[in-house]
Amino acid sequence: MTKKSTRRAFVKRSATAVAGAVVLPQIIPSSVFGMGGKLPPSDRIVIGAIGTGSQGSSNMRDFLRLKDQVQFVAVCDVDSLHLERAADMVNKANSNSDCRTYNDYREFLEKEKLDAVSIALPDHWHGIIYSEAANTKMHIYGEKPICRTIEDGKIIVKAVKNNDIIWQTGSWQRSQPNFHRGAELVINGRIGKINYIEVGLPDGNKGIGTPPIQDVPPELEWDMWLGPALKVPYRGVSHWDWRWILDYSGGQLTDWAGHHIDIANWGAGLEHTGPVEISGEGVYPVEGIYDVPVEYDFRCKYANDIEMRVANASRLINGMGTTWYGELGWIHTNRGNRLIASDSEILQEVIGENEIHLYKSENHWQNFIDCIRSGNQTIAPVDVAYRAISVALLGEIAMTTGETIKWDPEKEEIIGNPRAARLLSRPYRKPWTLPNV
Amino acid sequence: MKKQYFILLILAGLLTLLPACRNNRKFRTLIITGQGDHDWQASSPALKEILNQTGMFSARIIVTPEKGEDISDFNPDFTRYRLVVLDYNGDSWSEETKTAFIEYVRNGGGVVVYGEAGNAFPGWKEYNYMIGLGGGEARDENNGPYVYFRRNEMVIDTSAGTAGSHGERYEFEIRTRITDHPITSGLPVRWLHGSDILSNRLRGPAIKMDILATAFANPKYGGSGRDEPVLMTISYEKGRIFHTTLGYPYEDSGPAMQCPGFISTFRRGAEWAVTGNVTQPVPRDFPSAAAVVIRDDFREISISEAMENLADYNMSKSTKYFTTLQSYIRQAGGDEKTLLKYEKMMVKVLVNDETTVEAKKLLLRELSWMGSDYCISAIEDLAENNELKDEAEFALERLKAE
Repeated sequence: MTKKSTRRAFVKRSATAVAGAVVLPQIIPSSVFGMGGKLPPSDRIVIGAIGTGSQGSSNMRDFLRLKDQVQFVAVCDVDSLHLERAADMVNKANSNSDCRTYNDYREFLEKEKLDAVSIALPDHWHGIIYSEAANTKMHIYGEKPICRTIEDGKIIVKAVKNNDIIWQTGSWQRSQPNFHRGAELVINGRIGKINYIEVGLPDGNKGIGTPPIQDVPPELEWDMWLGPALKVPYRGVSHWDWRWILDYSGGQLTDWAGHHIDIANWGAGLEHTGPVEISGEGVYPVEGIYDVPVEYDFRCKYANDIEMRVANASRLINGMGTTWYGELGWIHTNRGNRLIASDSEILQEVIGENEIHLYKSENHWQNFIDCIRSGNQTIAPVDVAYRAISVALLGEIAMTTGETIKWDPEKEEIIGNPRAARLLSRPYRKPWTLPNV
Repeated sequence: MKKQYFILLILAGLLTLLPACRNNRKFRTLIITGQGDHDWQASSPALKEILNQTGMFSARIIVTPEKGEDISDFNPDFTRYRLVVLDYNGDSWSEETKTAFIEYVRNGGGVVVYGEAGNAFPGWKEYNYMIGLGGGEARDENNGPYVYFRRNEMVIDTSAGTAGSHGERYEFEIRTRITDHPITSGLPVRWLHGSDILSNRLRGPAIKMDILATAFANPKYGGSGRDEPVLMTISYEKGRIFHTTLGYPYEDSGPAMQCPGFISTFRRGAEWAVTGNVTQPVPRDFPSAAAVVIRDDFREISISEAMENLADYNMSKSTKYFTTLQSYIRQAGGDEKTLLKYEKMMVKVLVNDETTVEAKKLLLRELSWMGSDYCISAIEDLAENNELKDEAEFALERLKAE
């Protein structure tokens, strides 16, 4: 612990020196830096990764692009093929063969004293591993949605806060100019007071029926992959496709909440609160192993009279993305740098000096590294991510119970419905438990 | 005074009985069949059964003379019916019959145009108006434009060419295009239909017609590459016509007719054609885009049937009995009495030694949130069972959390 604290203090101290060097490059000989003008290894953020599948390795690539600032040293995965591939990626970037590998995250967290860790796992693992990683005081780049249940989310937020670490959520749309601009126009009242928001997320996936029980591939530690989730026989569904099974995910709804619901909250100033009433319905598969809703459509009422409708894209006129409706018009934003408004002049508006200027980041992964150095808050902090996924998780509860759910966003409790309140958490299979935070 | 009061009472009683009587009166329905390239001997009894099961229709089948035989005597009294279902593609009816049919529709009679009937009577102008769009090689640009969807927009294509073609039989996705019509209200926006033959390249006058749903005719299966209309409504004077191209029969009825998507839209379309409204709820097993659903006998699974079948549940065979139970629970919408009724049924299956472990595990997950104190002791017993320990503990942790 002492050793790590020292190292972290060093990283923070050196940040000032680095800033100086950037301003005055011509008088600092590049030989002071490491090879090829990089920062010397001691000044780079030392980072590892837990979960190196599709999103995990994608995040690794984004961090490795910042190679003059980041040094990858260790990777962890329950799939040895993923692990091997990730270690190769790191070793190639470091031009050595030193990347340390782990199958068990517990060993990783015990042995690795790093500045930061990038975590990308199926949602059912988020509660335990985010909290335990926060307890080691490593800074965390964590994938959305940050939790599978609201109770998990509360613990994660607390763990990040109590350990005073830097957290960045993988809600990278915040670092894209169109989403930032759209949200900034909205929050500054360019379409007047907001009364309605529509959020379109992807339609659900086609099923695969029920594949037969089969041998677990030798590279995969199935029981560890399941972890706190109930034990089920292996039917060939693990990587990526876990998101179509309720034990591990809520489907496209929860998968994408950290994007377009998060953006909706950002513009409407709902980042630190939640709805007070939620109702709606889902369309669930009748046949097959996949059981997440393939269509969903629910409405959230907020205390300030805003109503948010969240639905699969095929149900909405604007399809995917976020549309804010205000007294003076509407603004819609989506991926592909899409930003349109009821009147194109709205989009030309200048935000004045004394107005709200939303946090600006041009590179989501860089923003995380910058904040580790500066100690500043990231563009996608943990409590904000929790509020975004809460909307989807409450929608899920409303659809599962078929009831209108009343929610107290201050106390973070379901009001007057103990049955629905049970769905705020998901018991863990023994011996797994959430850590004390 | 007393006597007057008594009469008033009787009157009041009669008035309250009236709606009940009306509800008991079924819509007399005539299914016309007897000719066509399809297996009408299979489809028409299936359609009759599909309608009669609702308790809303009283359908009978009338079979025309065979193709080429003298059809001049075929002259049903349409006025005796509220609904005429056309499962017929063959010889022209007599002028007298045609006129009677037009009169029937004009005066507000309901019509359902099913499958092959969309290819019938290419030269009968009024019929073309009634069906909106039709197929069959005898139709061409003189019948009207091709109408289909492309990139979510309706296309009216006046190019020359014959109407009607189809590819192979396959499972295709249906896209609801009008979601606030009584027939489609509450349906999924996208759903996968049981293997069927999709009619392509329909053309017709398309006047006073709404396209409620389309399906992409995949060129991979010999389709047109267009989003082809599959469910349509047409107004013809006072009459309402529902036109479905779905449900091509195959070996008795087959997956196209056994799909709850077909069954339900057919029933809803029939009710709308009669009354202009739909009172039937969307069935719990209506398919989603995720998977095809098949009903063995057109009937929706009842809660007790779901429970019975759960005992020897085997998810490799079908998950529908469990997902149906979940759907009943959702539909209870938190109603304590209904949920307790289901809970008792679930516990009965749960404590049954014959019930599969797979089924018990699923029931425990479900009870974990919707159960009451009633199920706790049964679950505690199961916690002793090694195979069910995890699920039982999972359930108890939630149930005892309050």
